[in-house]
This record gives sequence, structure tokens and C-alpha cells, in this order.
Amino acid sequence: MNEQQAGAPPIAAGLAARTVAAPDAAERARRRRSRDSTLVLALQVGLAILVIAGAYWLNAVAGKLVMPSPTDIFTQFVKLWRDGTMLKALGQSLVEMLSGFALGAVTGVVGGMLLGGFRFVGRVLDPFVNAINSTPGAAFIPLIIAWFGLYTEAKVVVVWHAAFFPILIATAAGIGNANKDLVEMARSFGASRFTLFWRVMLPDAVPTILSGLRIGAAIATVGTVVAELYMAQSGLGGLLADAGARFQMDRYFAVVIVLMALGTLITGGLKLVENRLGRWRISQREGR
Amino acid sequence: MDARAAPLISLRHVGKSFKDGQVRALQNISFDVREGEFVSLVGPSGCGKTTLLWLINGLIEVDEGEVQVNGAPPVPGPDLAMVFQSARLMPWRTVAGNIEFALALRGIDHKERHDRAMALLGSVGLRDFAEAYPHELSGGMQQRVGLARALSVEPKVLLMDEPFAALDAMTREVLRRELLQMWSRRRMAIVFVTHDIDEAVLLSQRVVLLRPRPGRVDEIVEVELPEPRWRHDPRGLPAFAELRAHLWARIRDMGRDGAGLEELAGAFPEA
Repeated sequence: MNEQQAGAPPIAAGLAARTVAAPDAAERARRRRSRDSTLVLALQVGLAILVIAGAYWLNAVAGKLVMPSPTDIFTQFVKLWRDGTMLKALGQSLVEMLSGFALGAVTGVVGGMLLGGFRFVGRVLDPFVNAINSTPGAAFIPLIIAWFGLYTEAKVVVVWHAAFFPILIATAAGIGNANKDLVEMARSFGASRFTLFWRVMLPDAVPTILSGLRIGAAIATVGTVVAELYMAQSGLGGLLADAGARFQMDRYFAVVIVLMALGTLITGGLKLVENRLGRWRISQREGR
Repeated sequence: MDARAAPLISLRHVGKSFKDGQVRALQNISFDVREGEFVSLVGPSGCGKTTLLWLINGLIEVDEGEVQVNGAPPVPGPDLAMVFQSARLMPWRTVAGNIEFALALRGIDHKERHDRAMALLGSVGLRDFAEAYPHELSGGMQQRVGLARALSVEPKVLLMDEPFAALDAMTREVLRRELLQMWSRRRMAIVFVTHDIDEAVLLSQRVVLLRPRPGRVDEIVEVELPEPRWRHDPRGLPAFAELRAHLWARIRDMGRDGAGLEELAGAFPEA
């Protein structure tokens, strides 16, 4: 050890040793992973077939009021897209959802930064945030109708209210629980409070804020449909209510499929963003 | 070593309590660190070694007595740089980015930061890893980056809080040697906290031995072993063995004063 030159040699030696040992194990791990994902996919496809078969069976024994036949659902699905009904409804829903979510994201993140960054503000407002957050969202709908009416503005407010709290709470928690070790480190190097907040606490909270946004987006979809069911019927929720009221269950299920796809797409997309921006945290979790 | 030079760091009758005075962490601590001197603080856990380092850094204030760095009460800043037990790198920044963060706090111009970060990484043998993220490095490499970050601000004093305690024995040995080499080149003052007696004697010119609960100075021992020690490993010398035996004897005495032996041997960093 003592005869060794300082600096690079020990590292270089370590790396060389690692690359020699790696390929075999890596190859085995890759094969195991691909086998696993094939199995997962096969089971998923199997389950989907089972669900569809179950629907046919239920349709056969209980009639189309309980369960429309998947063929009819598909026909309705195509028809609704062809005549533009679905596209129009989807457009309306997306406008409400996106504007409500955008408002919720901006206000939630800014509010969370205030709550998390200023301990004092956080302590003062905590009970109020909890009180409003633990009241079921639907309880506010009559109030929102009284204040904002029945149309797009009111629906945007419902969506905003749904998305706001998960984002607010995640942001506040992310910043409030920022890594103390890193905060200490930055302080020991003489970082100001301003630098500490923008360069250490906020970046450290990014993954938490992103999960808050993901949850907020999922709840915003729920909020959109709820608003469209309770207020002036419009969008996908309106189509649902309409089809349900006339017991057109095939039409109803066609809309439900679109809602499912929409929700999956949104959360999937946000998860992708989350993985990309919070890359370091993900790879930390997986280990080196 | 010029003993007449005014001390860079001076502690006089320093006391510190926590929890509104219920827990007395430090009591009547006095010692000096001269410019370019390597001093180790050694003692069992619970003797306030880390607290002492924080007081010198200016992260916390004394309750009694005074701490002076360069003739004034210390403020956290580039004159004093910390190296922690874990590297404490920001995981969302690259290795170079982590060093640039410290350079930015020092007020170095944006364009110059990257060049200086690269030069420093070169000096710790990590130039090729500048664009890697901390989690892609081994523990020893991370600790090297932590050291490079501290050196980047060109501090007068390097404060090291058990920097090698979490590393494996071989990496620790390599990094000790690199630290000694770096110190022979740059000669800043180093205050080095450790619970490892051998490490303290191997590295430092003076060992401040502390007693626990509350932390007090037990004895200050001059380590007069031939320099540079990275070239002549002193661990085989009889003088090394004597110092080591002496310090261990003192620690065993502390054990008789009531502190449990497992506590004395404990490798737990205190809060």
C-alpha cells in the first residue's frame, strides 16, 4: 500500500476488476428480467381475455341491462367516435381537466413552497389545510355551484379543488423534510437562506413534488367526471350520465373505456416525467 | 513549526449545552490550532467532538467562553470547509456540479467554476467522473469528491468529521495517505475528529484527547514523529507504539470513572 502512487491507480484497478466480473452476472440478470416481464405480460393478456369472456357470460345469463355484450360496446365505441360525439366530449373534459389541473399545480406548488419553506406559516396554516383537505370534495359542489354557476368555470374550480391539496401537501412535505445533512453541508459552506431554499431544499423536494403532481392529476380526472355529472352535463361525464339515465349500457361502457384510457395515459405520462426528472432518486432506490 | 505565531483558531473556556441547558455537551475547553497545523480531536462518543467542530465552523454559538478564528468569532464560509463522515453530495448534481456549488458560494465567476472544478477533480484522481452522478461512485470516490469540494474553496482551515469512519479499511488507508500528501503540499490547518486512536496519531501533529459527559479536555499530546509521514509510515516506530499505549491508558482510566466500556469503544457519531 505504501509504495503505491497516490490518486488514480487504486480506482483504475477497482474499475478493471469490476468490468471483468460484470458481464456474466449482468447477462443472467437481464435474462431473468426479460423472463419476468414476458410472464407478467402473458398474465395480463390472460386476465383481459378472462374479463371480456366474463362480460359475454354475464350478458348471456343476466341480459344487456346488467351487462351489455362486448361486441355492442365496441360498436357503440366506433359509432361515438365516427359521429364526433366522443371527440367533442373528450375535448370539453380535457379543457376542464387541464385548466383545473394547471391552476391546481401552480397554486399547490407555490402554496406548498410557502408552507414548507417558512416553518412559521406552515404551523399557522396547518389546521386549516387539514380541515379543508379532510372534507370530502363533493361536499363543496353545492357551494361552488352557488358561487360559480354550473358551467365551465365552476367545473374548473371543482377540478382545481380536487388537484390542489395533494400537490400542496406533497410540496410542503418535500421541502419541510428536505435532507438535513445536505442543508447542514450547505450552511457550513456559508449558503444564505435564499441559496439554501432554491439550490438545496427545492431540488431535493422535486421527486416528492412530482409524485404530488401525479396524484393530483389522477384526482383531477375524478373531479372532472364528478363535476360533469353533478353540474351542467357536458364532456365524458355528461355522456356517462346521459347513457346511464337511458339505460344504454353499451354506450355507457364505451365512455368508461375512454375514461380508463385517459386516466392511464395521464398517470403513465407523469410517471415518465417523474422518472426522468428524478432520475437520481430512482437509481438510488434500485441500488448501484 | 513557529510556536510564537498567533494561533489561527483559539478556544478559551468553551462551554455548550443543549436542550435548554439540561444536557451539558462541552465544558471549559481551551486549545489553539496554529496555521498549517494538523490537530486531531479524539475521544469516546458523547464527548462532543462534532459539536466542537460545529462551534469552530460557526454553525452554532458557544454558551460560555469564546471561539476565535483569525481573531474574530467564526462565521460559516469559505475560510472554513467541512468534510463529513458521509460525503453529503447533492444527488441531483453531477460530481463537477457539486464542486461548482461550493465555488459559487465562494463567489467564483460562472465561467471559471467549471475549470476549477475540473482541476480539483484531477488532483483527487476523479477527472473522468466529472459528469457522473454521486450514486454512480463508490463510497471512497464519493468521499474524495467531498474532500475536493472542501479544498475547492481554498480554506484556511479544513474541518473533518470522522471522514474515513464509514469506509472500508483499504480505501481508508489510501485516503489517509492522500490526505497527508495533500496537506504537505497545501499546509492549511486541519482539525480532524476521529474515534480511532491509531488514525489520530498517524495523521496529526497534536492530539486533543477529550473525556465524555460533559466533554472536557483530558490531555493534549504532541505527536513528534518524522515527516512526511506518507513517505515514512510511523506505525512501526517504537514512539508510535508508546503514544498509542499512552492514549489507550488514558481512555481506560475514563472507563474507571464510570463510562461504560462499550460506550468508550463506540463508533457512533454524536449528534
